[in-house]
Amino acid sequence: MNAIEVKNLSYAYDSQKNALQGVSFNVEKGSYTTIIGHNGSGKSTLAKLIVGLLEPKSGEIYIEGLKMEEKNLPQIRNKIGIVFQNPDNQFIGSTVRDDIAFGLENHKVPTSQMDSIIEQYATLVRMQDFLNSEPEHLSGGQKQRVAIAGVLAMKPDIIVFDEATSMLDPAGKEELKRMIRSFHGNEDLTIISITHDIEEACFSDECIVLNEGKIVLEGKPEVVFEKADLMRKIGLDIPFSYYVKNLFKARGIKVHGDTAEEIAEELWQSHSKN
Amino acid sequence: MSNLVFGKYIPIDSVLHRCDPRAKIVSLFLLLIAIFLPSGWYGFALIAAFLLIGLMIAKLRISMVLKAFKPMLFMMAFLLIINIFSVKTGDLWFSWKFINIYSDAVLNTLYIVVRLLLMVTLTTLLTATTKPLELTLGLEQLMKPLAKLHVPTHEIAMMISIALRFIPTIIEETERIMNAQKSRGVDFDEGSLKEKISAILSLIVPLFSVAFQRADDLANAMEARGYVPGAERTRYKELKYHNRDHVLRILSLLVLAGVIVLAFVI
Repeated sequence: MNAIEVKNLSYAYDSQKNALQGVSFNVEKGSYTTIIGHNGSGKSTLAKLIVGLLEPKSGEIYIEGLKMEEKNLPQIRNKIGIVFQNPDNQFIGSTVRDDIAFGLENHKVPTSQMDSIIEQYATLVRMQDFLNSEPEHLSGGQKQRVAIAGVLAMKPDIIVFDEATSMLDPAGKEELKRMIRSFHGNEDLTIISITHDIEEACFSDECIVLNEGKIVLEGKPEVVFEKADLMRKIGLDIPFSYYVKNLFKARGIKVHGDTAEEIAEELWQSHSKN
Repeated sequence: MSNLVFGKYIPIDSVLHRCDPRAKIVSLFLLLIAIFLPSGWYGFALIAAFLLIGLMIAKLRISMVLKAFKPMLFMMAFLLIINIFSVKTGDLWFSWKFINIYSDAVLNTLYIVVRLLLMVTLTTLLTATTKPLELTLGLEQLMKPLAKLHVPTHEIAMMISIALRFIPTIIEETERIMNAQKSRGVDFDEGSLKEKISAILSLIVPLFSVAFQRADDLANAMEARGYVPGAERTRYKELKYHNRDHVLRILSLLVLAGVIVLAFVI
C-alpha cells in the first residue's frame, strides 16, 4: 500500500497564479522521499496540503488510504506529523517536557503514561538531559530535535520535514540530517523531507523535483541527478559526487559510489589495478 | 527589561514554592480584601506580621519587595504634597510662611503608603514563589465553574501560557531589530519628539510583521499536532491539594477574620 497518494493536486493562494498545478505522485510505505525545488517552487505549499493545513483547490490526497477531507482530519492527524522550518515558532510548551506533552494532551494520552513516553522520545533524540530546559536556553538544532520528539511521540505513520534544517548552523544541520537518516529503514515510518539541500536528496529512496508548481523530475536520486542540465535550468544544482560521476561517464568511465568518499576509494582502487 | 523585579519568579525551594497555585491565589484574594478593609493600624500590623512570616518562609529578602516598590515612590511623594495642601485637620505640626503641615496629612499619606506596601509584598510573594505557568494552570482550575457559562476558560489559559512562553522570544526579537535599525543610523536615545516617534515606528512595524508571521506558524504547528480549540484534552500537569495548602488557606482566612473584627467589631 502507498503511504501517500496525490492525484492531480492544484492549489492557488488568493489572487496569485497557481502555486501547484496538477501534481500527482505516490509515496511508498516506509520509504524516504525528498521533495526538492528552489524557493517559490510550491514545495512548502505541498507540505501544508499533505498534512491538511491547507485545503486543495482541486485534486485528491490519500493518507494511508484515507481521503483528505474535513471528517477524516482527526484520524489523519494521528497518522501524519510535520516538523517545520522555524525552531522557535513550533515550540509550544514552556519547557522541553511540556512541549512533548502538548501533542500527547491533544491525543488524550492518559496523564499517568505521559512521563514515560516523554522520557522515551526525548532519549531517542538525545534531549533527555534537557527535559526541564526552556526554549530560550536551547540551540536551534536542539529545538528541532524536540520538535521531532514531539511528533514521534504521537506515533505517526508518516513524518514530514518542511525545510527542517534550513535555519540551523552547519553542525546542527548535519546532526539533524543524520538523525533523519537514522529513522529510515523502519518499515512503519514513512519519511518525506522537503528541502533545497541537494546533498540530503542523495540519501533518499525517491526524489521529486518541483518547479513552478509542477513536477519536472521524479525517480531515484541517481536517475534525477543524471539530468544535470535540466536541474541547472530550473535553478538547482546537483550534488558534487554526481557532478564528478557525470564527468566520468562522459569519458566512458563507470563509477558506482554515491558519495565523494566512495568515488575516491573506487578511483584509487582502479588506479592501482592498472 | 530583564531587571524587572515586580512579578518575577525566584527559583528557590521553599514550602511556599511547593504550595498549590490555587491555594496561593485564593489566599491572595482573601488577604487583598483584608488590606482594603478599614481596619486601622492594628489591622495592618496583623497583615504585615503574616506577610513577613511568609517572606521568611519563602526565603525572600525584604530588599526585593522594596525594590519592587521603588517605582511607586514618585506617586507617593506626589500624594504627600497634595495632602499637605488639602488636608487641614489634626494638629498643626509645622508652619513656615504659607506652608502648614497638619498631622492628618502626613498620617493619611502614610496609611496609603503602608497599604500599597502590603499589596506589593503580597503580590511579590505570589509571583516570586509561583511559576507563571503554574499561575495560569491555577487560574484555569479556579475558573472552571465559569466554563458552564460558556466562558472559554481553557482557551484563555492556553493564550496566557503561550503569551508567557513567547515573552523572551519577542524581547530577543526586539533587541535584534533595534540593533539592525541602529546599524542603519536610527537613533533610539536622542532626538526631537518627531524623530523619536519615527525611530519607534521603525521598530514597531517590523516587530509586528514578524509577530504575525510567528503567530501564523504557531497556529499551523498547533493544528498539525492535533490541537482543536474547545476539544477535550488530557492534562500533563494535574494539581493536587496537600495539607500545606489547607494550612495556607485557613491561616489567610484567620487573618481576614481578625481584620474584620478589628474593622467592624472593636
